[in-house]
Amino acid sequence: MVRALIFLTALLVSITRGGNANWDSHSAHIMPPKKWSVGIFHPIRYGIKDGLELSFHPGWSFVLPNASFKVPFSDFKSFNTATRLSFVYPTPLLNMLSRKGIGGIIDPNLTIPPMLGVSGSFIMSREVLRVNLTVKAGLDFGLVFGDLDVRSNIDLPIVYHRLEVFHNGWGLHSGLDIDKNLTKKIRIFMDVDLRFIPDTSKKGKRKNYTMRSGDYSIEHKMLLIWEYSSKFRIMTGYKLVSGDYPYGKQTRLLPYIPFVEQWLPLIELQWLR
Amino acid sequence: MKNFLLLTLLLLGNGCEPFVVEFPDLSIPKKFEAANVDSNSKTYQGGGIKVLTWNMRFGVGRFSFFGDSCGEDVIADEQTVTQTMAVIAETLTVIDPDIVLLQEVDLSSKRTGYWNQVQYLLDNTPLNYGVYASVWEADFIPTDGIGRVNMGNAILSKYEIGSSERIQLRLRTDQPDYEQYFYLRRNILKSEIPELASSSQKKFYAVNIHATAFATDDTKEKHVVKYLEILDDIHSDGHVFVSGGDLNAVPPGATIDYCMNDICEGESYHVDGIDPFHKEGSFFDNFIGEPDILAPLYQLYDSAIAEDFINLPEHYTHAPSTSMLGENTIRKYDRKIDYLFTNLEWDDMSGHTHQACWELSDHMPISATLSNLTED
Repeated sequence: MVRALIFLTALLVSITRGGNANWDSHSAHIMPPKKWSVGIFHPIRYGIKDGLELSFHPGWSFVLPNASFKVPFSDFKSFNTATRLSFVYPTPLLNMLSRKGIGGIIDPNLTIPPMLGVSGSFIMSREVLRVNLTVKAGLDFGLVFGDLDVRSNIDLPIVYHRLEVFHNGWGLHSGLDIDKNLTKKIRIFMDVDLRFIPDTSKKGKRKNYTMRSGDYSIEHKMLLIWEYSSKFRIMTGYKLVSGDYPYGKQTRLLPYIPFVEQWLPLIELQWLR
Repeated sequence: MKNFLLLTLLLLGNGCEPFVVEFPDLSIPKKFEAANVDSNSKTYQGGGIKVLTWNMRFGVGRFSFFGDSCGEDVIADEQTVTQTMAVIAETLTVIDPDIVLLQEVDLSSKRTGYWNQVQYLLDNTPLNYGVYASVWEADFIPTDGIGRVNMGNAILSKYEIGSSERIQLRLRTDQPDYEQYFYLRRNILKSEIPELASSSQKKFYAVNIHATAFATDDTKEKHVVKYLEILDDIHSDGHVFVSGGDLNAVPPGATIDYCMNDICEGESYHVDGIDPFHKEGSFFDNFIGEPDILAPLYQLYDSAIAEDFINLPEHYTHAPSTSMLGENTIRKYDRKIDYLFTNLEWDDMSGHTHQACWELSDHMPISATLSNLTED
């Protein structure tokens, strides 16, 4: 059950990464110096100095060390631009999940070697017809320092294609975010993200036994955001993931609660200081 | 805007498919067809009909899978599955049955590299058509790294398969709810094969069962009773059947306690005060009448292996894959739990337990040939 909660938390973390122009991680805007924001599932974001933002998930730091840096880039045709460089070291978490019995997500006979995930993104944001628009694209690299067994994947939406980067060595990502005020206090946020793992399907579909097949994942999120104050907000919504996997194509609405076979709307609280 | 809303609703609806598939009492199984159907073999030319039943253990041979032996392995490697599946296909080609009843076939399970084993066997044997009924179908099993699983019963046939039913068997009652949610949903797969019907009034059915293995309540009794009910209905309606499968029950007169054969390192059985006293799945006297639970089948129908021979070692069909006779000697088989029956007659001495296949599964296939249907 504890593992199930961790998994659910991981999903929610992924779902809630996004938000408003001034204090949201998805856009090209940088957190002002000495300001920070945090949510239940949202990473801590901190303006280290003018033009440098750090974000990380503190709750995950011991098992999934992670950090992300965002710096502004020169404006381009009325777009604000930025680059983001992210690092994640998933080995401790994956080895925790490689266990016997309930909560074993990876075959306990497999050991995950040291691995470092590096992602670089170029982000462009601007307001068009009172809509905040952000487009982004980037490269993901999975550096593996040892033998990574092909069977050590996790065949779940969101997770599979992120881990597949380590098997493939690299991948691509891109996305479009739309953020619009509906009223003074309520906003709607929608995004579509594409993850692509080149060559995976070609390699996998030649064989009957294939641990590596399914080269894309499209993730769409919609959130209704209530700006309670300039320092606190509540959001609710869903995430829809559609992708190609070793077992075929699948679409899944998240968060999804297995035992009751029900989708549950996400609720997230965020604070800014 | 209306189209956008409709599309969104459609996507959201698709996204809410159950995480673990549960089945109604009756449902329609999935149908398959070989990539190249042999137009000659799909037509019955007269002569005997050879039938085979085999629990093929999802094509992993004697792999020490944690779930059904003393093993600790979970996800089979590519070489194990590829080699085993190739030899299973070759074996079926050599034996050349007209109808095959398979248990424990994987369709897109992580543990066997997401292999579609039904399609592979159709494409690599003289068999042309197939139906498949899931026993265990879940997006993700969060235990021991199993992940996605879809395992079930299948009927493969040279002849076209007509209407088919997946008949749900009762679930175990000796498990907590969370365990039952992720556990197997056993079934009986019943298919009509119109090509073999001797008249429009006398239909020909193939019936495949995989009964419970590890239940310690009365689930096995319920499964066998339901199985008999289905066969009796076919028979009393004047139709014919070939049927069989892995009944996970020993024949009348057989040894009933295999706990010490199946015991794993660190386990203790038959010790007063230690619970459980018997090993799950290795003891066949859990409820009154269990040792003779199959007697009605032998009384009512013709068995591929005649009743006089059922307890002979040459007709044993199973031993767990890690069962050892000595330090270096594998116990290949020590009990009979797989069966073939018909309400017609098997050809004399055609019943055969293929013990040479012991490396391909922890169960041995059984085959037998029906007398010429045109003489019926």
